[in-house]
Amino acid sequence: MLRLNGTKSSRVTRSLTAAAAALTLFGVAACGSGGPETGSAGDELEGLEGTIGSKDFAEQYILAHITSQLFNAHGADTDTNTSMVGSTNVRSAFETGELDGYWEYTGTAWITYFQETEPLETPEEMFAAVKESDAEDGIHWFDPAPLNNTYAMAVLAEKGDELGVEKLSEIADIDPAEQTFCIESEFSTRDDGWPGLKEAYDLDIPDSNVAMVDTGVVYTETAKAETCNFGEVFETDGRIPNLDLRVLEDDRNFFPAYQGALTMKQEIVDEYPALTEIVDELSQLLTTEVMQELNELADVEGEDPEDIATDWLEENDLV
Amino acid sequence: MIAIADQAIATRNSLKTGPTRASGALQFVRSKRLGTPLLATLSLLALYLWLNTLELDSIEQRTINSEYLVNRIIEHLQLTLAASAIVAVIAIPAGILLSRTKSRIAHGIILGLANVGQAAPAIGILVLLTIIFSTGFNIALIGLVAYSILPILRNTMVGIEQVDARIVESARGVGMTSRQVLFRIQLPLAIPVILAGLRTTLVFAVGVASLATFVNAGGLGDIIVNGIKLQRMPVLLTGSVITACIALFIDWIASLVEDLLRPKGM
Repeated sequence: MLRLNGTKSSRVTRSLTAAAAALTLFGVAACGSGGPETGSAGDELEGLEGTIGSKDFAEQYILAHITSQLFNAHGADTDTNTSMVGSTNVRSAFETGELDGYWEYTGTAWITYFQETEPLETPEEMFAAVKESDAEDGIHWFDPAPLNNTYAMAVLAEKGDELGVEKLSEIADIDPAEQTFCIESEFSTRDDGWPGLKEAYDLDIPDSNVAMVDTGVVYTETAKAETCNFGEVFETDGRIPNLDLRVLEDDRNFFPAYQGALTMKQEIVDEYPALTEIVDELSQLLTTEVMQELNELADVEGEDPEDIATDWLEENDLV
Repeated sequence: MIAIADQAIATRNSLKTGPTRASGALQFVRSKRLGTPLLATLSLLALYLWLNTLELDSIEQRTINSEYLVNRIIEHLQLTLAASAIVAVIAIPAGILLSRTKSRIAHGIILGLANVGQAAPAIGILVLLTIIFSTGFNIALIGLVAYSILPILRNTMVGIEQVDARIVESARGVGMTSRQVLFRIQLPLAIPVILAGLRTTLVFAVGVASLATFVNAGGLGDIIVNGIKLQRMPVLLTGSVITACIALFIDWIASLVEDLLRPKGM
């Protein structure tokens, strides 16, 4: 910031600057551990210490807290670190040992970490491929949860009724002026994103009909239905039901399934074989619907991810 | 005597004539002016050569192609220049007014606003604006202007205030009105400082214009964010290096303008 020599009002200026700087510090996520009593569900993991990480959105915060609290209920002493931003930062923190585990999605690993471009046919193939590839680097993928956090196109329910669109294949038939989209930068160049989608559904859309915006803005703009009628969303996002958005049916099965799974260092899994059973029991409960509900609690109701995790674990008798 | 007079005439002539001037210009170009554009050009060249050795995958090819890059660069420049022009039009008059008023409240409010504009995270302002209004070029422009108003505003005030009080007093003493003092004495003497503020604003704007990608206003941020999210190093580097080089070039051009507009003798 530019500071030339002091003026009469420099004290006012300085205090205002300080106030503004303090404001920018809001929103920094905290680290912490808490939740249910240690060892309430067993002591298989006694001696396990470490940190479960997360990326920077609600689903990840919740999954990190659920995992950490569940482990602690089995005798471990883990905490969470939910202050990292971006998949690649989390992944490198995990690789360097700063984090001991976090939830990853098969699609992200495939396209982003393994630098592939075309997704594989089935979710099972994708999972097997990433698991095998990471095993060489000593990274273990637990069996995936049924939750599918893939891309989807959503429309404001009211607007969808007005345009008569329920399936992706119906977009090509409506007035070209109404074929407007909000997408993220990342989606715009992925083979499993915009270029592939246009091809799969025979869409011929000029760039002027496509607005490239930030992830959060996609939701708000789609809900306004002004800049764009259709928005690229994540299927488990809690804002979909809350903003009254409707996910369009992918009737040509274009979007690949991207399952979430806990990843941990192989050496930890070897040392604590009980982990597999504990994680499997948890994973099978985490469906797309469950995740949407939990995400809505965080994104829309504003509840603390840590509390959401505790309540959910208790409801499901996992702790 | 005659010899001395001849020498004096010779000296005077040599001051007027070409050779000295040309060598002066040459020195002007050589000494400090060539480093920046040379560095930027070499960086771009190195980037180009490096990209040529790579086999780009389909994701990378969608951003690293001349049509896409040229469009993003144009968007980036449009945003940067438009924002800087608006900032100059708002901040210079505001700075002049502030330097002429004794009101501490006005100082506090206006400088405070400019400070907040810069201290508040630009990305937050942009996203907030899209939620309230819409997306696009104009929204990005508002965010950029809010962010980069402080340097010119402050430099205009400081530039005028730092003019030696004795000079101002002398000017009043010879009967100048306060308007004449402003336009004939204070402003010309403040120009170097004001221009330095403008230069800072331009460079700020180049950087912050990268955030326009989040509100559908394009620019090189499209490429940078894409490269980060998909961990494609060639994409990320292309976006970053070009942005940095634009900042260097703009700073360089501004420094030339600064030298040209600086009042003689300063």
